[in-house]
Amino acid sequence: MVERNTQDSSVETDGGAVRQAARSHRETNYLDREVNLLKPSTPFMREHLRVVWTGFVLWALIVFGPVTLTYVAPGVMTTQMPVLGFPLHYFLVAIGAPTGALLLSFWYARKRDALDAKYGIDHSVAETDDGDATVAADGGTDE
Amino acid sequence: MISGVVLQSGLLPEGLNVSFKFAPAVLVAAMLALFLGIGYAFRVADTEEMWVAGRSIGNVENGMAIGANWMSAASYLGMAALIALSGFYGLAFVVGWSTGYFILLIFLAAQMRRFGKYTAPDFVGDRFNSDTARAIAAVTTFLIGFVYAIGQARGMGLVGLYIFGDIGLPGLSGYQSMVVLMMAITVGYLTLSGMLGATKNMAVQYVILIVAFLAGLYAVGFSQGYSTVLPQIEYGTMIAELSSEFSEPFVNESYYLWIATAFSLVVGTCGLPHVLVRFYTVENERTARWSTVWGLFFICLLYLSAPAFAAFGTDIYANNIGPVYGDPGMTSAAGDVIVVLAAQLAEFPQWFVGFVAAGGIAAAIATTAGLFIAGSSAISHDIYANIINEDASQRQQVLVGRLSIVALGVITTLAALDPAAPIAALVSYAFSLAGAVLFPMFFLGLWWENTNRQGALAGMTTGLVIWLIPMINEVLPTYIGNGEPYSATLAATVPAIGSALVAVPIVFAVTIGVSLATDEPDLATKRMVRQCHSPEPMSRMQSAEDVAATDGGEPVSED
Repeated sequence: MVERNTQDSSVETDGGAVRQAARSHRETNYLDREVNLLKPSTPFMREHLRVVWTGFVLWALIVFGPVTLTYVAPGVMTTQMPVLGFPLHYFLVAIGAPTGALLLSFWYARKRDALDAKYGIDHSVAETDDGDATVAADGGTDE
Repeated sequence: MISGVVLQSGLLPEGLNVSFKFAPAVLVAAMLALFLGIGYAFRVADTEEMWVAGRSIGNVENGMAIGANWMSAASYLGMAALIALSGFYGLAFVVGWSTGYFILLIFLAAQMRRFGKYTAPDFVGDRFNSDTARAIAAVTTFLIGFVYAIGQARGMGLVGLYIFGDIGLPGLSGYQSMVVLMMAITVGYLTLSGMLGATKNMAVQYVILIVAFLAGLYAVGFSQGYSTVLPQIEYGTMIAELSSEFSEPFVNESYYLWIATAFSLVVGTCGLPHVLVRFYTVENERTARWSTVWGLFFICLLYLSAPAFAAFGTDIYANNIGPVYGDPGMTSAAGDVIVVLAAQLAEFPQWFVGFVAAGGIAAAIATTAGLFIAGSSAISHDIYANIINEDASQRQQVLVGRLSIVALGVITTLAALDPAAPIAALVSYAFSLAGAVLFPMFFLGLWWENTNRQGALAGMTTGLVIWLIPMINEVLPTYIGNGEPYSATLAATVPAIGSALVAVPIVFAVTIGVSLATDEPDLATKRMVRQCHSPEPMSRMQSAEDVAATDGGEPVSED
């Protein structure tokens, strides 16, 4: 279900590819391109979804893997761990899953920032050009 | 099924020292005065600020607000209770309530920020161009706030007993009087402040609740010789000494129920309106992403500690009061205050136990605030201003908002006087509802532009019906019957606590099927969805609709 298009993943560090990514970003009108989780229609979306799906698969393994293994092989999974003293299944579920999800989140946010940089997208620009002093006054009465 | 957990017992936690205590009372009063002061200092009169805090909140502050908003009495009190009472099954709550944030982050957070409206029903109504869809979403939001807040009221009532004792309102038991008092305070402060005050408060509330929880954990662990510097890991060595019920897998509940619960809590996390609205309050989509990471970090601080607290509490309870498991065992009311009970039984000074208890109250108030804001904005913004009275003035909207907060407060208080289940179970019903009805709409609405109005209406109706089946089968009998589900088979397949596992795939299939069978949405809607995914930065006050309606700063092609 994941579209594995690897056309430029091998040259990420290359300056030429970065320039090309930024150019393809400038030339893309995102409002004309279909949004479909299974069929990315722009280079940016393709790369982004590759990160998203990788993260999702890892997440599913971290979250439902240990408990399922415990169901399948209770004997092995409930052995006591050396030093820490936890039964293995308890440790993997109580500590492994939340910590794993946190690390994955950090990884994803970093990846996404790197992707923005590669495509020449700068979020700090847009923040400064709005007149927030006037906005609060009318408070969205046009709703 | 979860009968051991759902057992009712007059709601007086055994072992808890119920009496008025001066120092803890002053502490709680000071804390509440601080919340009211902050709420007053940041009081608001217009809707933009009331609902989305002027979209001014930054990374760490929003992360803390996500944490405080998220960590309710269910996290502070209920989670340790479930881990202590139902062992390995309780960990499904730790996992579901934390790891769900990753799904929220990769699939929804930034896109929701780019959509940029006010409320969850706003999203549903505008994305699917339907006032009916908006109304269903608004009613669902209101219902979630109501069901979820019952658990919070129960938590505040139980913990309040330690601090204020039995205040004895005429005709009510000590627990019931406390519920009434605490809810009155919550509603009072909320009607004054609104979302801006609430957000500022939430950062403060997060600090109070995490400090109180960790201080309690470290103090109990250290004084009883359980742990030194890292109780979150050190409790591992004592698990072998606790009863086997504490850690043995699937003795209390089946593998299926474990997965169903964890899954429901994950999708519920992604569908909860009061969580979603936190992404509307931030500056831009990058802040939406990073504040989610921060939020999960702040949440993990408590979630990694709760099992340790449960282990300590179980051991202390067994040493001081009696066996935790078996008959009679620890009641659900005692379980729900095990965090406070552990501190009390470890013989700390009253002010310190009161501080731990106050953390629980801060957690409950912060979440109730978020829920009531989401519920009341659904009524005032989505139903009143968008459907009933389209010319509503700001003043009218804010008034209706405040009235609906009061209404929510009253019905929640009534339902919490005789609650059907422990805190965490009550709260999980709301998660099943959010997961079944709203999550598929958010997910498909954002990731498949061909999802249309008919599909959304069919899907949401299906979700509501599937959620209602186990509520009638299992939860209704605890109020009007003998407490046993009408059909045991149905309760095992579609458990109230995890009905989203069954509901979500069906709702997805119905929504997709009906969308395919009917006309595609118009180009304006599709462009709005595409704008949610465009990497092109947006300015702070823009919504995807605004951009999609213009040329989006890019040349419009003629097709």
